[in-house]
Amino acid sequence: MFSNLYRQCLVEKHFVYNLFPLCKWSQCFASSQPELATESTIQAFEEPEKRSIKLEQRFIYPEFLPDPKIEWRNSIRERLERQDMLKRRSQIEIPEFYVGTIMAVTSFTPHSTSKKNRFLGICIQRKGCGLRATFVLRNIIDNLGTEVAYHLYDPTIEKIEVIRLEKRLDDELFYLRDALPEYSTFPLDMEPVILPDNTPIPVNTTQVILKPRPWVGRWERTDFKGINREHMMTLISDKMKMQIAKHQKPWEKYDLMKQYRATIPEEEQKEIFAEVYSQLHQLELGKKKSKRIRTFVKPKKSA
Amino acid sequence: MNQADLSKLVSKLRINIRPRHYNLKNPKGPEGRLERLRIVVTGLIKHERIQLNYRVADEARGYAERLISEAIRYGDCHAPTMEIADYWLTEKQLIHKLFKVLVPRFHECNMSYTKLLRLSTDHELTRMQGVLELRGNPYPPLIKDLSRNRNLLHNVLLDAARKDYRHEQYLRIAQGMSSEGKKSNEETITGNIEDKDKNEKA
Repeated sequence: MFSNLYRQCLVEKHFVYNLFPLCKWSQCFASSQPELATESTIQAFEEPEKRSIKLEQRFIYPEFLPDPKIEWRNSIRERLERQDMLKRRSQIEIPEFYVGTIMAVTSFTPHSTSKKNRFLGICIQRKGCGLRATFVLRNIIDNLGTEVAYHLYDPTIEKIEVIRLEKRLDDELFYLRDALPEYSTFPLDMEPVILPDNTPIPVNTTQVILKPRPWVGRWERTDFKGINREHMMTLISDKMKMQIAKHQKPWEKYDLMKQYRATIPEEEQKEIFAEVYSQLHQLELGKKKSKRIRTFVKPKKSA
Repeated sequence: MNQADLSKLVSKLRINIRPRHYNLKNPKGPEGRLERLRIVVTGLIKHERIQLNYRVADEARGYAERLISEAIRYGDCHAPTMEIADYWLTEKQLIHKLFKVLVPRFHECNMSYTKLLRLSTDHELTRMQGVLELRGNPYPPLIKDLSRNRNLLHNVLLDAARKDYRHEQYLRIAQGMSSEGKKSNEETITGNIEDKDKNEKA
């Protein structure tokens, strides 16, 4: 199973980030189910509502905002890319998802007997903008940590399903590589959970427990809220604890120009979302219609 | 390949921004750099016009603009903005000036809030100097207002248009005179008009 998957991923030019044999940890620790939090922490701005109606879309469609790096800005290229993205979105349904959402991607591959490959996992990163936007899915398959990076607008992707729509406390979940395997193990035949309309996105407030060192990253120097900090402190040496303060950068929250260079100003965001609003709205309406039909066709047996 | 930071919304600045910041060599590193810029920003808000090294001025200009735009955007009841203002303005009475003087002054401004000018300096002896100032400051302007120079093209055209208009007026009055047939009064009236023109020019 592993060798087959590994070969597929390599040939498809997706990246298999790390392939750890994790079986020895699976027996040591008791499994704990991640808790689902009902409250949402969608940011409430103090602006009047008029301002934020269209700008709320930036969380759903972050790849529509261009790269903030000034040398790489090119308004014509950005506009053409946005048109291409909308064209692709009219072909396949790219659902709303966030880091922490459990998703399944079906993509074409010439090497499998069925010519298709379905991978289910938790989204641990969303990166890039425009047509180069990517996301990384992680799952543990046959006791082996497996990650696949997909391009969101890849023409070989046939279907993107959202199995459980939720957010996590952080924007990146690479610490799952060093966490216990039960946090990133999901059965491949998971049933999709359908949220009722107009409900806020639930935030999963799980705090993962890390394995003993060595780790992929210096997690003790970061401020990820999804790591159980008390347990992590028991795993590191005194010297590492001493060095934590040295690597803090408390002045960065006052560096106004650094923040400005890392983001797109509100006026430009408004222009961009005003340009794509009508087409995105049409796509959303179409999605809702098809969802209603699907739920009607497949009723579930209660007993 | 980056993705825009979504957590914060910022207003667009109306100044040219360099793709990368100046490093401004400092023994304390990036922290010391910000501390140095903090002195400059505080001085700018206090004195409204300062002369300093051009690079430092250019770097501090962005921070001053951002500080004012945040103050306009969120007002003085927003805790994070207050914290930022508290960091950037080392003299605490200037926080009041920022929210009570500068915010009303720049609230409806559709230009940049600051101006940066290069000074002509001897480059062999000194580094390039610049003058950084807030718009609407009480000092006399540094740049002469040349818009009234009569040799500028638009002023030449306006003068010509005025001349033509006046000529038309003369003709009309002259026609009116001739139709009434009072030739004797014509000279006196045109004399009056010329007097009026002279008064206007003066």
